[in-house]
Amino acid sequence: MRRTNLALALVGCALASVPIQASDPVVTDSRLITEERRVQILEAKLASMQRQIELIEDHKAIERLQQQWAHYVSEGMAREAASLFSSSPTASIEYAQQGVYLGRPRIEAFLAASGARTAPGELRETPAMQAVISVAPDGKTAKARWRSLVMGGVHGQDGHWEEGPYENEYVKEAGSWRISRLHWYTTMRGSYDQGWHRKSFPAAGPLAELPPDRPPSEKYQSFPQFHLPPFHFLNPVSGQPVAWDYPPAGSAP
Amino acid sequence: MKILPLIALFAASSSALAQAPAAPRPVDLTARYQRIADRIASIDAQATRVDDYNQLRNLQQMYGYYYDEALWDHVADLFADDATLEVEPHGVYAGKASIRRYFLGLTGGRQGLVQGQLNNQLQLSPVITLSADGQRAQARWRAFMQDGVFNQGANWGAGVYENEYVKQGGVWKIAKLHLYVRFYAPYESGWTRTTAALNDRFGKSTARPDRPTAERHPTWPTRYIMPMHYAQGPDSYRVAPPNSVSAPAPAANAPRTATQLEAQVRALELKLKRLKAVDSLENLESAYGYYADMSMQDATSVLFTEDATLEILGRGVFIGSDRIYEYMRRLGAPTDGRLFTHMQLQPVITVAADGNSANIRARLFEMFGMNGQQAQWAEGVYENRFVLDHGVWKYQGLNGYQTFYSDYDKGWGKHSVPLMNYFPGYPPDMPHSIEYEPYPAVFVAPFHYRNPVSGR
Repeated sequence: MRRTNLALALVGCALASVPIQASDPVVTDSRLITEERRVQILEAKLASMQRQIELIEDHKAIERLQQQWAHYVSEGMAREAASLFSSSPTASIEYAQQGVYLGRPRIEAFLAASGARTAPGELRETPAMQAVISVAPDGKTAKARWRSLVMGGVHGQDGHWEEGPYENEYVKEAGSWRISRLHWYTTMRGSYDQGWHRKSFPAAGPLAELPPDRPPSEKYQSFPQFHLPPFHFLNPVSGQPVAWDYPPAGSAP
Repeated sequence: MKILPLIALFAASSSALAQAPAAPRPVDLTARYQRIADRIASIDAQATRVDDYNQLRNLQQMYGYYYDEALWDHVADLFADDATLEVEPHGVYAGKASIRRYFLGLTGGRQGLVQGQLNNQLQLSPVITLSADGQRAQARWRAFMQDGVFNQGANWGAGVYENEYVKQGGVWKIAKLHLYVRFYAPYESGWTRTTAALNDRFGKSTARPDRPTAERHPTWPTRYIMPMHYAQGPDSYRVAPPNSVSAPAPAANAPRTATQLEAQVRALELKLKRLKAVDSLENLESAYGYYADMSMQDATSVLFTEDATLEILGRGVFIGSDRIYEYMRRLGAPTDGRLFTHMQLQPVITVAADGNSANIRARLFEMFGMNGQQAQWAEGVYENRFVLDHGVWKYQGLNGYQTFYSDYDKGWGKHSVPLMNYFPGYPPDMPHSIEYEPYPAVFVAPFHYRNPVSGR
């Protein structure tokens, strides 16, 4: 018994000799956990933190990539905008009801003909905003929803407002993020002079002079029809898919 | 009595330790301590760059919110002493004193707006690039102008910023603000009928510039692309291109015990937690807007804590997620012929030091429409509070302040509805916390943050 008491006392001394802070690990006594084991734990933690900081950087890199897109398209720079895409032949772009274009050369052709066209006197001011960015846990792919409000038109004619979300996908290639799929939905396109409540236009259809490689992946009509472009993300609090408690009237969601 | 077996067990194991035949051969951990210290330094350097990115984004967005209200002392505080400001085509203002005079000269020498003035300038689409040493930065932004004087006129505008920033004493400041105005057009005729003379009306101060604009660039409809500071192409990984980032110096005086390293790792864990919070919070704020668009009352109300408060326009305070659900239900279900968008823009995100609570100031920009009947523009400011609840960020308080709701046909130059009052048949739990009148009256929604440079 005397020996036990001594051992207990020794443990007490060892614990007392290092001032304990609230944030210190519970076990620091060198006879209960070795210094080497603590070093192993630190190494494992840092390996995890290295992955965490890279995922945080990935989130920012995707924001920066998509915002470069917004500037290139607003300035009518089709080639530069196309350069943001993956070099994979499956990289795709899809606007409104214009169909799907596959691979960088076709993406650039589409942008030059339509998405980032700069006819004389044509304006397209299209910032990207309201991001929900979801990077895959392995840091190799990502998805994001964005919104754009577009000021458009040709000088001397009626202007137009256009609004809608993007649901995009990204891939990391050789350490750089690229767009693998860009899908912009038109929610509403309406006349500036008369207002969208008096004159709205259908979502743009396929280009006669540059037919798409595939038909639209989703058939829908823009305002005054109601359509919800699907969310890539689950509800951030409940973790559940979202739906209406009361189904919307009118067209099927 | 119950404690005895435990002591016995403990004693036994302690004895076993004490009686170990030979002390384990000491392992030389020096090299591993060094590698751990280097790894901490390297992750910390990456985290600092992301934190810088977030601070820079906040800085320019705060500039926007101060600009909206013509809080010129706050605006001038954000500049470095030797900063320059250039608003094309009106000239270059050099030094903080000159820059302050420029801003005051936009509003007849007054701080703050007067009755009838609207001065919104939305700060959008940042492309931020940090220098390799992390002490300077450049950023391109797009600005939307939405301003005017009630009963006199209203304007839409758009422009591009190419700015520079400098970190002094650990605080980011604006070193160079350069705005190219693309167009600035009266609301009635719109941008497609603008002219160079109309565009040049924007940003003209009564203060004399220190020197003229270096080069006069044409405004829209002439095509001009303000040069971009960043390399063309997608090399945007790691905030700044990785090859430009110098490797952190090996940790000097590397700690020589696990206890010291553990303390550093805990500090770094907190830093990462706060950075992750910024991204989660931005996603949450954006998701709120997308769900509110679609009148998804279940998806929206679940974003709030059980005891959260919600206070929008002049509708009073609603307490608890059940009441918030009912509030959201009153916005009506989406139908054909109805447009309702809740754009959530320009989020200034502030995470508390312990990483467990946060605030966001954000801008609401709303389009409303009933086909064949009516359309409306609306704009306002959110000041929202958030709490980390068992690892999940939730709204603890949402405050949406009304700036204007204006009929599309008239615009905010001619029309603005009074503060929206209680829902008929659905009174709040408490009256709204601040008495105010929206535009054309002047109301500055309270800021959750102090000026990041001056602290005022």
